[in-house]
Amino acid sequence: MNLPTTFAIAAEETGHAVEYGDGGWAAEWAWLLVIVPFLAFLAIVFFGKRLPRQGGEIAVGAMAFVALYGAVLFILNATQGVVFEHSVEVARIGSFSIEWGWVVDGLSSMMYLVVGLLSFLIFTYALGYMKGDVRVTWFFAAFSLFAGSMLLLVSAPNLIQLIVGWEGVGLSSYLLIAHYWEKKENSSAGMKAFYVNKVADIGLVIGAFVLAIPVGSFRISDILEAVVGDSEAMQTVAIAGAVLLFIGAMGKSAQFPFHVWLPDAMAGPTPVSALMHAATMVTAGVYLLGRMYPLYAVMAPDVLRVLVLTIGAITLIIAGLLALVQDDIKKVLAYSTVSQLGYMVAAMGAGAYTAGLFHLWTHAFFKGLLFLGAGSVIHSVHSNNMSDMGGLRKSMPVTFGTFVAGTVALAGIFPFAGFFSKDEVLASFNYEGYTVVLAIGIIGAFVTAFYMARTVFLTFYGTHKGHGHPHESPRVMTVPMVVLAGLAVVGGWVNIPGLYTGFTQWVGTRAHLFEEHHGESFDWPVLALGLSAALLGIAGGYLLYFRDKETQQARDSFRIPLLWPLLEHKYYLDDLYLGGIVNPIKGPLARFVDWTNSYILDGIVNGAGFLARAVAGVVYGWFDQRGIDLAFNGIAFTTDGAGGKTRLLQTGKVQQYAGATVVGVTLLVIGFVILR
Amino acid sequence: MGWFDNGWGLSLIVFLPLVGAVAVLFTPKKNEAAIKAISLGFTAVTLVLAAFLAFRFDFGNSDEFQFGTDLTWIESINSSFHIGVDGISLPLLVLSAFVTILAVIYSFNHWPEPHNPKGFMALTLVLATGMNGTFVALDLVLFFVFFELVLLPMYFMIGIWGDKAIMKIPGFNREVETRLYASIKFFLFTLFGSAFMLLGFLALYFKSGEPGARTFDIPGLIELAPNFTGTFAFLVFGALFLGFAVKVPMWPLHTWLPDAHTAAPTVGSVLLAAILLKLGAYGFIRISIPILPEMAKQWAPAIAILAVIGIIYGSLACLAQTDMKRLIAFSSVGHMGFVMLGIASMTPVGMNAAIIGMVAHGVITGLLFFLAGSMSHRYHTRDMARLGGNMKVMPIMGGILGFTAMASLGLPGLAGFWGEFMALFGAYSPLAGLDTTLFRTAMVLGAIGTVLTAGYMLWMLQKVNLGEPSAEWEGQHFHDVDAYELAAWVPLVVAIVAIGIFPRLVLGATNDAVVSLVTKAFGG
Amino acid sequence: MTPDIDYLALAPEITLAITAVVVLLLDLFLPRSQKYWTAIVAVLGVSFAALPLIALAVSDVGDRTMLGGSFVVDDFALVLKGLFVVAGYLVLLMSVSYIESDRYYQGEYYFLMLMSILGTVVLASSRDLITLFIAIELVSQPMYLLAGWRKGDLRSNEASLKYYLLGVLASALMLYGMSFIYGLTGELTFAGIARAGAGMADDPAFIMALLFMIAGFGFKVSAVPFHFWAPDTYEGAPTPVTAYLSVSSKAAGFVALLVVLYSAFPDAAGVWGPAIWILAALSMTLANLTALRQTNIVRLLAFSSIAQAGFMLVPFAAAATTDAVGLGDAFAASVTYIVIYAFMNLGAFAVVIAGARKTGTGEIEGWGGLGSYAPGIGLLAAAFFFSLAGIPPLAGWIAKLVMFSAAMGAGSAWMVMLAAIAAVNAVIALFYYAKVVKTIWMDPVPATAPDEAVRTASVAGSLGLALGLSAAIVVAAGFFPSLVTFFSEATRVLAGG
Repeated sequence: MNLPTTFAIAAEETGHAVEYGDGGWAAEWAWLLVIVPFLAFLAIVFFGKRLPRQGGEIAVGAMAFVALYGAVLFILNATQGVVFEHSVEVARIGSFSIEWGWVVDGLSSMMYLVVGLLSFLIFTYALGYMKGDVRVTWFFAAFSLFAGSMLLLVSAPNLIQLIVGWEGVGLSSYLLIAHYWEKKENSSAGMKAFYVNKVADIGLVIGAFVLAIPVGSFRISDILEAVVGDSEAMQTVAIAGAVLLFIGAMGKSAQFPFHVWLPDAMAGPTPVSALMHAATMVTAGVYLLGRMYPLYAVMAPDVLRVLVLTIGAITLIIAGLLALVQDDIKKVLAYSTVSQLGYMVAAMGAGAYTAGLFHLWTHAFFKGLLFLGAGSVIHSVHSNNMSDMGGLRKSMPVTFGTFVAGTVALAGIFPFAGFFSKDEVLASFNYEGYTVVLAIGIIGAFVTAFYMARTVFLTFYGTHKGHGHPHESPRVMTVPMVVLAGLAVVGGWVNIPGLYTGFTQWVGTRAHLFEEHHGESFDWPVLALGLSAALLGIAGGYLLYFRDKETQQARDSFRIPLLWPLLEHKYYLDDLYLGGIVNPIKGPLARFVDWTNSYILDGIVNGAGFLARAVAGVVYGWFDQRGIDLAFNGIAFTTDGAGGKTRLLQTGKVQQYAGATVVGVTLLVIGFVILR
Repeated sequence: MGWFDNGWGLSLIVFLPLVGAVAVLFTPKKNEAAIKAISLGFTAVTLVLAAFLAFRFDFGNSDEFQFGTDLTWIESINSSFHIGVDGISLPLLVLSAFVTILAVIYSFNHWPEPHNPKGFMALTLVLATGMNGTFVALDLVLFFVFFELVLLPMYFMIGIWGDKAIMKIPGFNREVETRLYASIKFFLFTLFGSAFMLLGFLALYFKSGEPGARTFDIPGLIELAPNFTGTFAFLVFGALFLGFAVKVPMWPLHTWLPDAHTAAPTVGSVLLAAILLKLGAYGFIRISIPILPEMAKQWAPAIAILAVIGIIYGSLACLAQTDMKRLIAFSSVGHMGFVMLGIASMTPVGMNAAIIGMVAHGVITGLLFFLAGSMSHRYHTRDMARLGGNMKVMPIMGGILGFTAMASLGLPGLAGFWGEFMALFGAYSPLAGLDTTLFRTAMVLGAIGTVLTAGYMLWMLQKVNLGEPSAEWEGQHFHDVDAYELAAWVPLVVAIVAIGIFPRLVLGATNDAVVSLVTKAFGG
Repeated sequence: MTPDIDYLALAPEITLAITAVVVLLLDLFLPRSQKYWTAIVAVLGVSFAALPLIALAVSDVGDRTMLGGSFVVDDFALVLKGLFVVAGYLVLLMSVSYIESDRYYQGEYYFLMLMSILGTVVLASSRDLITLFIAIELVSQPMYLLAGWRKGDLRSNEASLKYYLLGVLASALMLYGMSFIYGLTGELTFAGIARAGAGMADDPAFIMALLFMIAGFGFKVSAVPFHFWAPDTYEGAPTPVTAYLSVSSKAAGFVALLVVLYSAFPDAAGVWGPAIWILAALSMTLANLTALRQTNIVRLLAFSSIAQAGFMLVPFAAAATTDAVGLGDAFAASVTYIVIYAFMNLGAFAVVIAGARKTGTGEIEGWGGLGSYAPGIGLLAAAFFFSLAGIPPLAGWIAKLVMFSAAMGAGSAWMVMLAAIAAVNAVIALFYYAKVVKTIWMDPVPATAPDEAVRTASVAGSLGLALGLSAAIVVAAGFFPSLVTFFSEATRVLAGG
């Protein structure tokens, strides 16, 4: 147990010295959180097939443990505030040490709970959803692998472990997106996710170098201590590191312009989309910002203001708009996720650490819920397209109810979870005076409400346009949805300005390295604006889509000339990346390189070989007399066979040889004179 | 255990395989059981001894040569049979013994055509002696002999058991059997390099002192490092560079590698990739840098540039391949590029990166070649367009292939990660006095290289493993991995995971040795 | 006065002379069916010649000088005599089966062979111009006849004729040079010449004379451009004779060069060094390039032996530009190379004899797949040819090493350049040596191959013994080079190094 001194120092500096517990045995044993899912992975891979539910039960069991343990840590932190950090060195490189370890503090314990709880619920849901799937066992194995990697990432006390977990979730994301790899587009979607993240990870990795070199350690606490401690010297390092790390975060959290992979990621089974591509994995970027927040807030506020805030704002609006034009229900939710991640990042950028994490927290519940609802719908109508749905509220009451709850929460209607978090985000924009961003945020709120209303009406109202008879999903799927629906309602009540701000305390255990503003009460005007924007959005959706009165024309009614094609082509970003980067490299460039290899480099080598042979041929010609002799003998024989013999004895170029010998001597003399 | 520590243990590890080869030669061709038993026995004992050596190794003093001996060998040129292991050579020595026995086991039911276990095993064992010897030799002449000893066996392996397909020599209107072209190309390339390497060694020898006091002893020459300066040293380093760079291989001297790997029989490719490529990089670390530190510093930028070109070039070339084995071969160019980038940084971090990168590349790419071999063994083709859906046809093999590919693209948590990560880390802050801008540019390019690596590896997986099996395999039965293959592969898989999670397995031995090497060479 | 004769010192020569005469007489009186005794006696005689050598080596008398310093038995002489005797022994072993297989009359064959061997042994001890010349001629004259031994074969006749005519020319050149030297220095013994010729290094006549002698020796060692006779003669002569020509006769030429240049003209190193530099560079490069295109294995070995001569000359060239120690190194290097070359080349020719017997041809294509039906021969072929290429762990590598070492040791830019040329040539050479091995091991058995019986016929015992001995030496010396360097070091004395 080695608690970094940062906190003592920081406590003195920032005035309010806070006493933290070390979490006792619970924290000491927290490494179990990380190990258990990995063990589950192995167990499922090797024995899964033999079990009645092909390994699903192992996965769910492991997640139950994680959820409970996460809850324990969460409560522990909520009650006494825990800061615990432990590292085990596994190797030294030069003066640097490579360590595995785990952290228990406000931020991580909050994530433990979110990851554990949602994993448990969604795994359970998957038991039903994936029943009879081609590769159930492998699915649960990979799912557990994801959970393990995610927890490894969250629990990381140093950047190397963070990177390991970071790429681990990337891998499981690839595996699960490409789950139905018989179809090429699915495996391609997985690869796309992997590549985009890999590119962004360059930033993360180099950022780690930039920070680790001057500090002499990869430990996050050491880095923060050193960087925050020594302002002048570390200025440039801090800024460079902040920017680079954020690039990594942009990849995982699907921020513009890296967001392109997330919609394609919907190729994976819906539980995967729910857990990884909505609730947990994609929030890793936000988590990273939170983990390194002192670096940003104290040393690189400009990076926050200029880069993070801008990117967040752009992302939230462009993704929100894209959600408007999707027919695939999962794509709607995917873009919505990107947009909400934009809110979180923007909040972080606006200096609102708590608000960002708070939105992460509530979003996990209702977006997870919405995906499960979508999954349940897809499960029954066997299609992702809303044009094949409609009128499902009768046949799928539970799904309908929970989905609506999620929608309302996402739209940010009082008193649902989304209301509180989104309001806090908007308030933070206002407080810092980022009027433009505030405006974008409010427009975003309107858009969000609008496309969610659209989704609900197209899916559950009107007449069923698909085939077959939709039916409600089994218990094992609906129960998790109900639970999440409950959380989508109450999830936001843990941070009500002026009333009860527990969440701020929970995630605040390390927050006093920097100053953060917490409104004493709601920012009423902003609240009013945001709420009315949401209500307007729902109203708009109602007007256009309720009972899908001639839907087609309804859609047309807001085909803004310039914007529409832009949205349909996703701002042409994919075309740019494919046509501008991927294909040129994969095609011409690669072929050219291979060509140079065989024709230039090898050409030189083979050329040298053939040249030697050619030269040898020449030398052979005038140097190896045999050729000449044979010619002579040949002539001799052909002229007259009998006489040939006798004549042959006189041939053989003896005179020539003798001459050559004499020439040789003279050559020697000359050569000697030259060399002399 | 005195006898073990004072050189006998090490000598046994080096020469037992050779004895085994002789024993195989005197076994009647018919008696395959005996041939198998002998080769397995000798490699097994070698591995056990190597493991025992690692167990007895004093990691506290991993910067000193241990288990060594120093016997007069060729008085006339004052060259001695000086051997020993330190933290740098230990991992590579163990790796060599480890991979060799796996190769032997694998070949037990994968005899390449023409069927001749006797010859094949004999050559494998000779190869083992050459490889082990190179890693323990502490005398330049001895090093040279072992370094060259691997040529003949590999030449015959490729030439006799290699790919018999007819190939057209690009750009020249001439056709030749792949095995013949590849084998002689490999031989000539390496000999060309090592001929100049030998001249370099001799130059050092004559510079090392007055007549009678001259030496080929590597530690001795390291002590004399300050004497080697100026144009002389520059040229000597260049000569050594030729010898080692061909073996690594560094761009643009790599062109023998794709042909050799593609043509060689499976076991040949495995040993070539897993061990032989390491001899070159090891030469840099063991000889060039400590003996000619100043020149190493001068050459470092050039090495870094070539290394990065190798990374990018190799990866791009991979994307253009249709032949699975050739793709893996080109991937070696990229991976060894990372190794050389680490070395070029001339820092402890970079050197560590180089060694762990070599070990990782050994186990990972070795396994990849095993897999490629077994697949073409079953499908009778290496054309990735015809493979595909292998996951469906042979799930276990497909799974292992997927795992290995992930390891090869440097997935954190598996062996391949450390080499790449640390190489880039080393390049970010190279040795004081080296051009930081250049090296950081190299680092960024290298990082882009990691993306390309992921690019072609996943692409390969998509083509080979995923999708639906091509119709031509309709109704054919494909036997998934057999016992021999598992016996040969599982240890590698375990090693990949173990090193990935617990890099101390390698770095624990190397770090102190590397730190002291760098300190000696470039000052504290 | 009658010179005092040290009979022990002369014992090897005497033994060989007696054996030669005995063989001649036996041949006269033995009935046709008993002729094989001549062979046995010849082989035994040569073996016996080795015994006094051992006795001399262990005796602690030191150098034995007689005839006014014209005939010296020192370590150098002993080592080389030993080499010549062993080489001769191996050649005789090869000859037995070969000559038996031919229908030609045997007696003179062994007689002539023994006389030539006697010449080589005398040569090793000769320390004045006349003895040297007589010895060289004694080595060469029998060869003129033996080269044409296969009387019915036109090419064989042509071979001996060429060899003879050019040989005479070379001897003439040599003798011409020697006479000049004598005229200029008034001395015959090398020691005397060294003393008297100390200041003459700039005298044009002296230089001319020296170069004429070098030209003569160049013919014996078949260095470019004095090699023209070699390929044709090698191909035409019976293979054992070719082996002898390419080993003993060539080595004799080198020994002559060694003693003359190092002990008679040490001060003129500035003259002969550059000359030898040119010979070495030319021989290596041109012969290697030509060898690349050879299709006949004997002819390939002929050019290979010319190229090897080039390698052997490198240390001589180095000696010119170095100090006393370097001189000694160079000298020892030459001897080492000569010794190792002798065994690997003899082995190669033994393989050629055996292989030609099995494949029924000397054309390389005909040897395809030999490794598959005669793995033993194939293995030995690989061993000897890769040894010639200088690939460890076969003895050839140490020869190359000391050669390079001598060149680098000289330290002059010229020598580094020569070393580089040699390095490139080593690579080129590998190509054609490997080509033979490749044919043997990697090519299919050609349709023209003789039937099973011939292919699997076992190798004659004597030939097998020759193969075994040379193979054993080549491998052992590869792992323990001291086996050779020990002797070559002993010869340093002559170079005063």
